[in-house]
Amino acid sequence: MTDFFPLFIQQLFNGLSLGAIYALIAIGYTMVYGIIGMINFAHGEIYMVGAYVGLVALTAIGTQSGLPIWLIIAAMLALSVTVTGVYGYTVERIAYRPLRSSPRLVALISAIGMSIFLQNWVGLGQGTRDMAVPSLISGAYTLQMGESFEITIAWSRLMIIGVVLVLMIALTLFIQHSRMGRASRACSQDLQMAELLGINTDRVISFTFVLGAVLAAVGGVLIAITVGKLNPFIGFIAGIKAFTAAVLGGIGSIPGAMLGGVLLGVAETLAAGYISSEYKDIVAFGLLVLILLFRPTGLLGKPEVEKV
Amino acid sequence: MKHVRTTPVLSAIALACGMAVAAPSLAADTIRIAFGGPVTGPITQYGDMVKEGIYTAADVYNAAGGVNGKKIEVVEVDDACEPKQAPVAANRVIKDGIRFVVGHTCTGATVAAAPIYNNEGVVMVTPSATGPVLTDGKNYEFIFRTIGRDDQQGPAAVKFIVEKVQPKKVAVLHDKQSYGQGIAESVRDGLKAANLEPVIFEGINAGESDYSAVITKLKAAGVDFVYFGGYHPELGLLLRQGAEQGLKARFMSDEGAGNPDINAIAGDAVEGMLLTMPADFSTKPENAKVVEAFQAKGRNAGGAFQLSAYAATMAILESIKATGSEDPAKVAQYMHANSFATPIGEISWTPQGDLKSFDFVVYTWHKDGSKTIAEK
Repeated sequence: MTDFFPLFIQQLFNGLSLGAIYALIAIGYTMVYGIIGMINFAHGEIYMVGAYVGLVALTAIGTQSGLPIWLIIAAMLALSVTVTGVYGYTVERIAYRPLRSSPRLVALISAIGMSIFLQNWVGLGQGTRDMAVPSLISGAYTLQMGESFEITIAWSRLMIIGVVLVLMIALTLFIQHSRMGRASRACSQDLQMAELLGINTDRVISFTFVLGAVLAAVGGVLIAITVGKLNPFIGFIAGIKAFTAAVLGGIGSIPGAMLGGVLLGVAETLAAGYISSEYKDIVAFGLLVLILLFRPTGLLGKPEVEKV
Repeated sequence: MKHVRTTPVLSAIALACGMAVAAPSLAADTIRIAFGGPVTGPITQYGDMVKEGIYTAADVYNAAGGVNGKKIEVVEVDDACEPKQAPVAANRVIKDGIRFVVGHTCTGATVAAAPIYNNEGVVMVTPSATGPVLTDGKNYEFIFRTIGRDDQQGPAAVKFIVEKVQPKKVAVLHDKQSYGQGIAESVRDGLKAANLEPVIFEGINAGESDYSAVITKLKAAGVDFVYFGGYHPELGLLLRQGAEQGLKARFMSDEGAGNPDINAIAGDAVEGMLLTMPADFSTKPENAKVVEAFQAKGRNAGGAFQLSAYAATMAILESIKATGSEDPAKVAQYMHANSFATPIGEISWTPQGDLKSFDFVVYTWHKDGSKTIAEK
């Protein structure tokens, strides 16, 4: 098998571009969990909303407008990030904040309700049929390796990996060094204590939701451009996978979500490539169980200290 | 009665009329035909195709004064194409006292609804569910279809592949749902019998967005022909992602993928794709009047299921006319015993409710959404 190596590279690339999107969404789950200890099940739908807003922006601009492609994509991202950010804020304000002091289960049900609401909301507005996004970036870099197999690096997928990489670095710097980043780290360590010390925790929580929504929106727009097919239900599968990635990496840990997303994407793709598509979810979730058996808090998660 | 979901309005009326036999006597002045299929959900366009056929048939009969002096009324029942939703829809039909159904639309949902109709004695004619599992070994009396079966569609595809395309390496993919997998298995078995065993036979997850791993695999295996059993969203993505990775293989699929939406998803990559579909009855000269009736209401007779739905509605109405009765048992008996001249040809049924004969034709699909009969 002289083609083994190039084939592996190709599958790895496929997996990385898929995993990058998982990671982007997973950050939203993990940050919210890190601060208020709640799983925001409507987060997958926020990603879906982001993708739709991107498509609306594209339709408004039109593909024949003569504007450079990068400008169109930037405009899609800008509009999507803004609108989706507002969605993220509103969801928290309406569905979660009033329930902050009630048992966690109540907020969880509220999140599921919000998720169904958003699916149907978009379904009513845009129709439930598949919407197609024209491909903006075509073409690929091909590389002849081995005897007959040609590695194809599609520009659109390369863009995903590039954009996600930049966002991850920016996010890490932001959390480490900015005032808001410090405040949110304080909140994730101890919400009550942070409040006693004068941090406006409501603002930090709102900010967390908005930041999560913004990242999900970027993921939505990128996937809309690359995959080209949207329906109001894409958030469900993406949300489940991203949530899994967050748990895999250690829920509450931002680097963990990044690692978990990439790992899950690569594991799925390799399983589909080398075993069979029928087994890819079994392999990916088997991996999850295995890792949680040995590291119950996920790869980079810290053991929970019971607060008294 | 209390276990069946119903609309508040209807229950209020039912209460007013007295519980026992209220519903059936409600609308004795019309013949009600229920449409069963997706009104909501991601593949409503198939429901729309079926509905256009039913409504047009109802319009034509109503314009001619109805049947036995009664007007036809169409009632829509939504199953979202989901097997778990279909029994709920079927129970609603029965609860409302409707005795004739054209539908359901998707195989999975139809299979779930059929036993309920058969037990309750409701005539159901599906114009679009092609899965053999619907009728095989069931001995239903009240269940019919006006469309071919997957195991008639599979052999048509195999014959074309083996005789005309003559590919070197074939892959067969499916979406793991009863419709797509059924056809894919029949194609795989047919190809095996013709000494053209597929090098890859694999199911992909419907609803996902990234199939690049499978594409890479097809490419690495040197596949030059891919048969896909399933619906257009997944096939559209396979085509698009195949083009993206420079996969040089020809695709073929079933009528479930024969939908203009695939052009939007896959773009130019659809050019040259092959599809097995029922013959396009809308272009036949003897159907000119029916096609006109469609056009008069701004409907399109040229889709996959419009004329089969028209034929299904027609067979029910003609049987009601001939027997002079709205008793489903008599109608079903009449349908089994006779043949009907419909826009999809002269049709008659086997004892288990399948069409005695139905022809599939191979089409080449083009990037402008049109299709032509495939030469090779």
